[in-house]
Amino acid sequence: MKRVVSVSLGSSKRDHKVVTELLGEKFEIARVGTDGDFNRALELLHELDGKVDAIGLGGIDVYLFVKEKRYAIKDGLRLLEAVKTTPVVDGSGLKNTLEREAVRILAEETGLLKKGTKVLMVSSVDRFGMAEAMAEMDCDMTFGDLIFAAGIPYPIKTMVELEEIANKTLPEFTQMPFHMIYPTGKKQDTQDDAKVEKFAGYYLDAEVIAGDFHLIRRFMPAGLKGQTILTNTTTRDDIDFLRAKGAGTLVTTTPEYEGRSFGTNVMEAALLAVLGKPWEEITPQEYLDLLHRLNFKPRILSLQE
Amino acid sequence: MATHDELTESLKAFMDSYNKNERLKVMNRDWNRVVVVKATDIDSLHTLTVLDGVVSLREGASGQPDLTVISDSETLADMFYGDITPTEPYNNGTLRIMGSEDDIVRLDFISLMIWGE
Repeated sequence: MKRVVSVSLGSSKRDHKVVTELLGEKFEIARVGTDGDFNRALELLHELDGKVDAIGLGGIDVYLFVKEKRYAIKDGLRLLEAVKTTPVVDGSGLKNTLEREAVRILAEETGLLKKGTKVLMVSSVDRFGMAEAMAEMDCDMTFGDLIFAAGIPYPIKTMVELEEIANKTLPEFTQMPFHMIYPTGKKQDTQDDAKVEKFAGYYLDAEVIAGDFHLIRRFMPAGLKGQTILTNTTTRDDIDFLRAKGAGTLVTTTPEYEGRSFGTNVMEAALLAVLGKPWEEITPQEYLDLLHRLNFKPRILSLQE
Repeated sequence: MATHDELTESLKAFMDSYNKNERLKVMNRDWNRVVVVKATDIDSLHTLTVLDGVVSLREGASGQPDLTVISDSETLADMFYGDITPTEPYNNGTLRIMGSEDDIVRLDFISLMIWGE
């Protein structure tokens, strides 16, 4: 049996382990959260290195892509470089393929995404492929990167402006302590009440709310009117949370195992173990072919039945 | 070491660049803050005030700053002239900023929008 472990800076409340089969091979897939404790994450990575088949890094991105430009988050790189033997990924390689594909499937096979759909992406520089795919199909995009990462009530409306601001700010923001720009640890279990109230309008105006689940959750107001949530890394508690807020449909881009969808880092680590190749040698097409062979499709869950 | 006058000039350059940037003014309409800039190696204090998206500058301190930016005069002048970004001196401890994390991120963002590539 192959073992895949995700070490996450996120809350340990979300820890989970499943045994599943991928293309006829048994996999144990586990997620271990360190409650924002960076040093604990480093220790765990050292312990696992050489003992498991692949490692995912969760609760943090290592690489952010803006078209062809790649920015490395300093704290993420420290974690990545702590692993010397076992293949290790942050999910960014798969994300670009999987999430573009999810958008394509939602557009072609459901009515959830179409030209003119009002989409709020709470953050897009960590999901540039998804952002680009929805912009290309002429959704009415609001990129909330400045709103939710920096508290600046300025909705970015075009890919051109998103790219311009990202290229100006990411070289430096990626060097900042990660907890300053993203909720880690216990912050993932709570909401920022002041910002929930201040930025509620962006959620209420949208038809689809997309992006990182921890950000979506942290700033989500009550009183949604059946909006679709496009994300992943959701647990059963998260589904209850979304239902209570009035969300209508949950779409997760990663498959469900025992009531929850893992992060893309976990899934990318699993695919890496299936392919048995170093991360640097895997092409987007190989990921896409493998996704088709595994029949990975977005999970669509109605929340208001 | 920069002089007090050089520091004043660097802050004026920062203020002028900010106030010429209409988008930045829109972005910061909600962010009324008083920022004190304090040099550690010379006797030099300045106050930047952001009010309704517009920045003003005066020499001297303010009683109730929301943010206090503290570093040696050379680092402060370099930073406000845009020759260096705040991140490196902040990360290596040369630059200290007292205030909420949200405000620190916002100030960093403003300088990147003015001077970023």
